[in-house]
Amino acid sequence: MVTVRLKVNGVAHEGRCEPRKLLVDFIREDLGLTGTHVGCEHGICGACTILFNGEAARSCIMLAVQADGAELATVEGLMRDGKLHPLQEAFREHHGLQCGFCTPGMLMTALDFLRTNPSPSDREIREGISAVLCRCTGYQGIVNAVRAAAPILASGR
Amino acid sequence: MGLSLPRLVGARVARREDPRLLTGQGSYVDDHRPARMLYAAFLRSPHAHARIARIDVSAALALPGVAAVLTGEDIARAAKPVRAESKTPNVQTTSFPPLALGKVRHVGEAVAMVAAESRYVAEDAVERLVVDYEPLPVVKNTEDALEPASPVLHEEAGTNLLVSREFARGDVDGALAGAALVVRERFRFHRHTPVCMENRGCLADYTTGSGTLTLRSSAQCPGLVRDILTDLLGMPEHQIRVIATDVGGGFGAKASLYPEEIATCVMARRLGRPVKWIGDRREDLLSTTHAWDEIVEAELGVNRDGTIVGLRAQVTADVGAYSIYPWTAAIEPVQTISFLPGPYRVPTYRGRTRGVATCKAPLGPYRGVGRPPAVFVIEGLMDRAARQLGLDPTEIRLRNFIRDEDFPYKSPSGIVWDRSSFTGSLLKAREALDYKAARDEQRRARTAGRWLGIGVASYVELTGIGSAIPVSPGMPVSTGTEAATIRFDPAGKVTAVFGVASHGQGLETTLAQIVADEVGVPIEDVRVLHGDTEVSPYGTGTYASRSLVLAGGAAILAGRAVREKMLLIAGHLLEADPADITLADGRLAVRGMPDRSVMIRQVARAAYSGARQLPKGLEPGLEATKFYDPYYGTASNATHLALVEVDRATFQVKTLRYVVVEDCGRMVNPLIVDGQVHGGVAQGIGAALLEEIVYDEHGQLLSGTLMDYVVPSACEIPMMEVHHLETPSPVTLGGFRGMGEGGTIGAPAAIANAIADALSPLGIEVAELPVSPDRLFRLIGRAGGLG
Amino acid sequence: MKPPKFEYHAPKSLDEALEALGRYGGDAKVLAGGQSLMPLLNFRLARPAALVDLNRIASLAYIREQDGQVRFGAMTRQRTIEFSPVVAQRLPLLKEATRWVGHLPIRTRGTIGGSIAHADPSAEYPAVLAALEGEVVARGAKGERVIRAADLFQTYLTTNLAPDEILTEVRLPAMPAGAGYALEEFARRHGDFAIVGIAAIVVRDGQRCTLARLATAGAGPVPVRLRAAEEILEREGLGEAAIEAAARRATELVDPDADIHASADYRRHLAGVLTKRALTRAIGVARG
Repeated sequence: MVTVRLKVNGVAHEGRCEPRKLLVDFIREDLGLTGTHVGCEHGICGACTILFNGEAARSCIMLAVQADGAELATVEGLMRDGKLHPLQEAFREHHGLQCGFCTPGMLMTALDFLRTNPSPSDREIREGISAVLCRCTGYQGIVNAVRAAAPILASGR
Repeated sequence: MGLSLPRLVGARVARREDPRLLTGQGSYVDDHRPARMLYAAFLRSPHAHARIARIDVSAALALPGVAAVLTGEDIARAAKPVRAESKTPNVQTTSFPPLALGKVRHVGEAVAMVAAESRYVAEDAVERLVVDYEPLPVVKNTEDALEPASPVLHEEAGTNLLVSREFARGDVDGALAGAALVVRERFRFHRHTPVCMENRGCLADYTTGSGTLTLRSSAQCPGLVRDILTDLLGMPEHQIRVIATDVGGGFGAKASLYPEEIATCVMARRLGRPVKWIGDRREDLLSTTHAWDEIVEAELGVNRDGTIVGLRAQVTADVGAYSIYPWTAAIEPVQTISFLPGPYRVPTYRGRTRGVATCKAPLGPYRGVGRPPAVFVIEGLMDRAARQLGLDPTEIRLRNFIRDEDFPYKSPSGIVWDRSSFTGSLLKAREALDYKAARDEQRRARTAGRWLGIGVASYVELTGIGSAIPVSPGMPVSTGTEAATIRFDPAGKVTAVFGVASHGQGLETTLAQIVADEVGVPIEDVRVLHGDTEVSPYGTGTYASRSLVLAGGAAILAGRAVREKMLLIAGHLLEADPADITLADGRLAVRGMPDRSVMIRQVARAAYSGARQLPKGLEPGLEATKFYDPYYGTASNATHLALVEVDRATFQVKTLRYVVVEDCGRMVNPLIVDGQVHGGVAQGIGAALLEEIVYDEHGQLLSGTLMDYVVPSACEIPMMEVHHLETPSPVTLGGFRGMGEGGTIGAPAAIANAIADALSPLGIEVAELPVSPDRLFRLIGRAGGLG
Repeated sequence: MKPPKFEYHAPKSLDEALEALGRYGGDAKVLAGGQSLMPLLNFRLARPAALVDLNRIASLAYIREQDGQVRFGAMTRQRTIEFSPVVAQRLPLLKEATRWVGHLPIRTRGTIGGSIAHADPSAEYPAVLAALEGEVVARGAKGERVIRAADLFQTYLTTNLAPDEILTEVRLPAMPAGAGYALEEFARRHGDFAIVGIAAIVVRDGQRCTLARLATAGAGPVPVRLRAAEEILEREGLGEAAIEAAARRATELVDPDADIHASADYRRHLAGVLTKRALTRAIGVARG
């Protein structure tokens, strides 16, 4: 068994688990944060994407023990003072989600992407979100949402 | 009666579901963790066809943390096998045991089940199970399966031909023999699978004290599941609760009852503890129902002017190893021949279909069911005829569409189209694309040596069907009814409860829009509950493009009943004739006397405050439950136009523009209609270009990961231009038509036709989907187009 | 799909890592970025007795210029390489190739050492190593050695690293100033492994070609240097005819396998198409 001490959405946590426990399972079961989802367990679909020390990473192909000492951000941490994050607002306005299963991974991926490319073209948005598979939306609502949110995020609002 | 005009139906209302889904507060099956819960894992067959000689569970049981191991024999003692019966002749009923009994029939079939303290330990235990298999010859495709000497998958059927059906009208042989032109083709629509982002899973909890079973499942049809569990488990229906909470996509994949659901219930009951099984992606690709796997040999006879004289087709569907419940193995093959004639006037027709068992996962419903292949075929034949006659492909369709004056039109399979906008949708699609400019662009591109193509696909789909037409002919359950309960609480808020089960299509929003309009409250005051058999009136679930028609219709009926009662109560409170009361903006007032009014919430409170607040003899309360059966059903239609370019060197296909003009009758929420079109078209493009389930000759699944079964990412899908026509259905309450499946019905055909159009100078036709670059490489090479 | 049990070590130094690796007689695996190994563990296709996790060894992540080379600590993240000014200036081919490696979240964790040691012939980094004639440094119980690209890759997913050796550094010769370069890749879906990819470097002197390098991804069990095609350019220059001839020769030099995504013939055909595209683009970028 190993001990894992980490911060998630600014809050310190500690847990014990087997070394083989996947980070996504640790987040969901040991920390009770079920917003991050398991879609494939082989690093393709992106539903499990979180921010690991500020950068998007797939938690289904990381071990929980690797997060010892790290700071994670998950979808649960996006709201501010009970209000939706501008990216979440944009997804709502532009119908960027249907079943919602890929949505947490899509949000965290889009956040990281926009930080590296604050003013993307539509083609760049598609490349950026191609990291996450969605079967419901055909991506159109998501592209519209990210395009709308980009200037808001870039301006720091 | 004086009602306000609809305010919400037709409006682009943001979804009620979104706040919780956006913030990670969704309630999917795997998010639930009741106390003392165990985790399940299944041992799955590595063989495509084998007898099970012996299963040794001792090593697995000995592993610390393992609570129980069940095999097929154990399940057989606790539950009946699923048998999807059909009343139609020539549909063989076969058993589908929850865990393999005596033999396995496809790779990935569940053979044994472990319950343990974690999924990790459960998988460790699965590896310790020892099974002696005696391999049998593999039935690898439909051709082999129909050979007289072929092994038979189901001894009780005595044949691998599980389904056989025909629809016919008139003397098609004579018509084709005398036709000016007959085009024929052998079409191959390869095997696909829906790939919901949330894998299947369920959580069963049996409470010994009360004898109740609660099954939480990632499922589309909680009502159907409850119905059948009561029979399979021998439990009274009112002791079973099935909940489909938040479900991460369905598309038909989650519309059937699965072996894992039954086995999980048995395990939970056996152990008296909650048991959860969450499928992983490997299991999903191996055992979730597959789709559309058909060979269609078809011929279309036309006059010199392109008008159809006859259509003849033989469909052979590879239905896999088992007939699924409740739809039966007939659902895919029969729907293909039912709808092959499409939106056209087809005077003579013969469609024959066969459903053949092989050692593959069972075939089941996937968005469009039978119609994606059917439209690929008929739209492909129309294009071939047009090419040979020198007609524009849109022109040949306009000459053959069922016209306004032909409605209601009885199709060769007996389905009646009430009134659709076939011509209107194609004309508008041409306009939206600027068809003439696109053809000009194509000419310029051809001169410059580029392969640019335009493909059209028009279709009609039966939706919102009532009890007269079963979803799958002869199937054992009735799917023609849904109900709604609308209930005011004393503070004036509304709860609306339905038996449908939303899994992404926003029913919590659209049904709330309908209810809010009917009873005159703001949408914020309506809360929609669905997908829980404990709270909902009897219903089956969400599938077959039915929810807005059936549940929406029931909501209208229940809403009217509640509104009537509100007027009676208001009349009493205002000392006026209810016929003189108007309802607008949350207020009931005497017509012409705005000062004599009450708020809706005052009426609601009065309803629960006793006899003095109510007209004499009126029962207290303000709620109504109504059932709706549209009886026949209605139809939606659309025309898709795709502009593609085929790379001359790599044969990669790029979709440059995609236009949809769709008609789903009276739209409730255009935002959601658009989303359904986008998602369906994306799956259709994936089906046409990227996705294929591949088995080898030993029945081993080669496309067993998401690297190998390639669903499109955002880079493979274009921006889609969606336009709407609204021809209200003349036969359904509300004029709704039901939609959601159109994208996958039209897109494969539109893409295939566009590619063939791009390559027409080489004389290449597209008869096989998906069109991978490799397949195109071979087609073009054979046509001498390389270099 | 959960991993089987394994013992886990997270050493803080390379010596500790080697010591841990040595304890298992070849039955331990090194965990770098995990983007390739973890899926194998989750599928239970890899069942090592132990994992030696290199992610706590800070000294293994660096980018340094030395002796005309750019030297990368094995644990340097692909994401770091993607945004590195040194790489942009000295190894623009590597920067371009990095944008083809999966997706940004993969590159957050994936490492240059891990990608090369994993030796998937469909991956971009092995092809770039071959094209640049780079080398790797490996350290084991018997000491340190330098392995050239041409010697490193044996077959699918197999290098000549010994089970007790750790790849510690990747060395790539800095590209000549003004060199043209291109990575042309064909995949079914954006971000997937290449069906076929061609890495090209061209150094020009007017219409003459003083240096040509062509290396493949996805066209065989290891990255292939298309030497005979390179020679055509070095002999005949950079005109259309030479490019065509080099592309044709490329199709003769590869011996690809077939899988469910593409046949051998189609891969061979792609090798020619992408060679032509890569050369055309590289020549367009080349200055001289």
